[in-house]
Amino acid sequence: MSEQVSQLLDSLRAKAEKGELLYIGENVVRVDSLEKVLGSPVYTADLIPKGTVYAKLFHSSIPHGTIKRMELGGAKSYPGVLGVLTSKDILGLNESSAILPDRQLFADPVVRSTGDILGAVIAETLPAATDAAARIKVEYDLLPAIFDPTESLKPGAIKIHPKGNIARQMKIRKGNVDEGFSKSDIVIEKTYRTQFQDAVPLEPEVGLAIPEDGGVKVIGSMQSPHHTQAAVAKVLKLPPEKVRVIQAVTGGAFGPKSDETPYDVCSTAALAAVKFRRPVYCGMDREDSMVMHTKRHPFVISHKTGVTSDGMLVADESRIIGDTGAYASLGVFVIVRATFHTVGAYEVPNVKADSFLVYTNNTYTGSLRGFGGPQAIFAIESQMEELARKLGIDPLEFRLRNMLVPGKKNATSAVMDASCGLPQCVEKVVTSSGYREKSVRYRNQTGSMRRGLGIALLMHGNSLGPEGNDYGAVHVEILSDGTISVGSGLTEYGTGAISGIMQVASSVLGVPLSRFKLERPDTSKHRESGPTVASRVVVIGGNASKQAAEKLRNRLIPVAAQLLKTDDKDVAMADGLAFDRHNPSVTVRWDDIVDEAYRRGVNMKEEGFFMAPAAPWDQEVGQGTPYVQYTWGALIVEVEVDTDTGYYKVVGAHAAYDVGKAVNPGGVLGQIYGGTVQGLGYAMMEELVHKDGVVVNPNLGDYYIPTSMDIPQEFKTFIVEVPGPLGPFGAKIIAEPPIVLPGAAVRNAVLNATGVSVDDLPVTSEKVLMGSRLKQAPMAP
Amino acid sequence: MKRVITLNVNGTDHPTSVDASQRLIDVLRDDLGLKSVKEGCSTGDCGICAVLVDGKLVNSCLMLAAQCDGRRVTTVEGLADDPTMKRMQGSFIENNAAQCGFCTPAMLMASWDLARHSTDPTNEEIQVAISGILCRCTGYYQIIDSVHEGCKGARR
Repeated sequence: MSEQVSQLLDSLRAKAEKGELLYIGENVVRVDSLEKVLGSPVYTADLIPKGTVYAKLFHSSIPHGTIKRMELGGAKSYPGVLGVLTSKDILGLNESSAILPDRQLFADPVVRSTGDILGAVIAETLPAATDAAARIKVEYDLLPAIFDPTESLKPGAIKIHPKGNIARQMKIRKGNVDEGFSKSDIVIEKTYRTQFQDAVPLEPEVGLAIPEDGGVKVIGSMQSPHHTQAAVAKVLKLPPEKVRVIQAVTGGAFGPKSDETPYDVCSTAALAAVKFRRPVYCGMDREDSMVMHTKRHPFVISHKTGVTSDGMLVADESRIIGDTGAYASLGVFVIVRATFHTVGAYEVPNVKADSFLVYTNNTYTGSLRGFGGPQAIFAIESQMEELARKLGIDPLEFRLRNMLVPGKKNATSAVMDASCGLPQCVEKVVTSSGYREKSVRYRNQTGSMRRGLGIALLMHGNSLGPEGNDYGAVHVEILSDGTISVGSGLTEYGTGAISGIMQVASSVLGVPLSRFKLERPDTSKHRESGPTVASRVVVIGGNASKQAAEKLRNRLIPVAAQLLKTDDKDVAMADGLAFDRHNPSVTVRWDDIVDEAYRRGVNMKEEGFFMAPAAPWDQEVGQGTPYVQYTWGALIVEVEVDTDTGYYKVVGAHAAYDVGKAVNPGGVLGQIYGGTVQGLGYAMMEELVHKDGVVVNPNLGDYYIPTSMDIPQEFKTFIVEVPGPLGPFGAKIIAEPPIVLPGAAVRNAVLNATGVSVDDLPVTSEKVLMGSRLKQAPMAP
Repeated sequence: MKRVITLNVNGTDHPTSVDASQRLIDVLRDDLGLKSVKEGCSTGDCGICAVLVDGKLVNSCLMLAAQCDGRRVTTVEGLADDPTMKRMQGSFIENNAAQCGFCTPAMLMASWDLARHSTDPTNEEIQVAISGILCRCTGYYQIIDSVHEGCKGARR
């Protein structure tokens, strides 16, 4: 045993003696990392059995119309083709929708976007299915189409769905904004726009269905297996228990895999499996995925904001329009989260917000990391920068005067409690970036290369809150060989969250994570645990895991006490041993405790269930406590801009997040790094472009995401820990928040470097150049 | 039209019957069962299908199997006992460099290739070495840390 390991074990035992937390807060090796570095066959496409046939989806070529005729003959007669599935082949309901029943699996007769799936070709090989699908001809009667959500809202606009073009509306009424504006010395009105972003999980959406007696087994890449089970069962007209869904190791998700696309691929594969009595693989390629899955909503957000001359916010009125494309999907909740975050991390005494989730004939949008946060925070943090400049107050100073601290009230009038760690986050990034010195120095720059700093602050509501009951069940079983098996309907798709909930059980039982194994989420074994969204696994699942492990611990302590010949209350457990607190040299091994417990017939299985407390709010005024706790954060980026060309790069980033308690700090940093870089992509380069409803860049050659060459040379990260009331050991969520801030921080940094306000994301070099040219152009007299 | 070629994959000759249009990735994954080779875009943009052909890192979705007749192909599976690869894999695990894991085998191939040429690369050299491979989870920082560590003491 190396000295380092021996020291670690000593410190663990010392902690256990005092009853302190074990493992929590330590960098642990994730339970699933070995299979990943070995390249083991664990993803859906690696599990395709011999004899599998392939489904290729085909989609609409027009943005709005009715199908007049589908010519399938050329595809059906293509060598190797088993058949073509269309709406006529659906056994149950032709529906593939997450919340509102507004979307069909195979569109018929109305198509509302070019991403609408019309059917699938089933063939012996994927090339045959793909070639055959290209032979399908569809004739349409065209209908007028709308691509701009503000047009959709206008009276007299064509109706995209029978009930109209508004899928969801929401409002906030806090105080009286009209009175607030009359008391303001300065009022600014500006409109901000954001773009379609594609999540680009490196593994696109895929599903594999295998016929089983009287039903079907589905293996796929997804966030929410139980929801997929319900969706497939509906399409196949089967009782849910006849559809067994297993989540394979999932190669990235970021939101779209909690939306309807996993339903689409799994339902199609399952339909074909039942029809042709063969295993069927339905996998999207990159283009399919970028056309047919959900993207981040483009938003149009207008803010009218009033401040006093000494820089205190008085009132904010916002109008928020989200383009949900042809279908609502999880957008009905995205718009709610965006609205609750409309004034971000600031106290504004008077707030009025009206938001609209609007249908258009663009391809549809839905859940994507941040869930409305990136759009809302881009708008309000841009507005804050404009206000500071107009007031002539340093942007940091202006933020410090208005930001939320314990005792202040956010947009919903929720009073911030002692768990608000925003000031600590700000302090970290201000010091790290050298903000105070640099912001003064950069005011006097000459020449074409200019530097600038940009700040953005974060409040991010934790828990599903307005989106429904927030619960999770975690099953913990101690096997006879001492291995601890953990299973849940909550899923892992890359963040390490499931290792986090296992780490919680590991801490309670005093057994290192290396003795744990993860069961694949399986609807036939694990209880429905709601969707795996909102970064909630460690917070909600962690509590369930803690509960289950505590119950097991309480059963094992008496066994250990007898083996140690001591009292129950004196037993401590650490690093796979139990010992007497008062006599730590006498130990008994975990495996021996487990052996003895099995001999005595102790129940070694337990399920923990946790539901977050209610988060009540008044729908009429958008007031209340829609979230149980908040994650806080601050980001400062530094840019260098070549004002002759508009080219710029982010040379430094300084990020601090208050995560309550970092269960696995290395994992937390991974989320901060990864989320920030994905957010820098959103800020600087990513835009899925629609032209007349057609996606023109559905590939990674024309849609750019950050490469290793695009990341800031300097990136300083800080974990702040101000415990929250909800998560285990005070943990708050972290997977989503880091993607929220880069949009505004980059935009503000470019503004401070050049004087150019780019109000529509992404902040491309072209926009920076055009902006500086316009500023330099002589004004007309 | 089928044609019999010989691929030397991970040190073993495999006489293989391939279609003229069959890609290297298909032969590796489907015929030889080497599932570490991932497909992310099919257009050579994401790089997660990267393997070594005659010691050179290539996208196996852009190369036809027939082009590899008589050539040496190396994947992560073939380096399971290689000390440099093992150190690199250990370093990826320790530094949390694998999140969803879908780019990990390609990242490891690029990193192993770098480690053969450099035992103490700079950040920039590492960034260039992995620049052809996209990762959507990590923001690359923990991968870069891992490569630094994995390169140390690598056999030249």
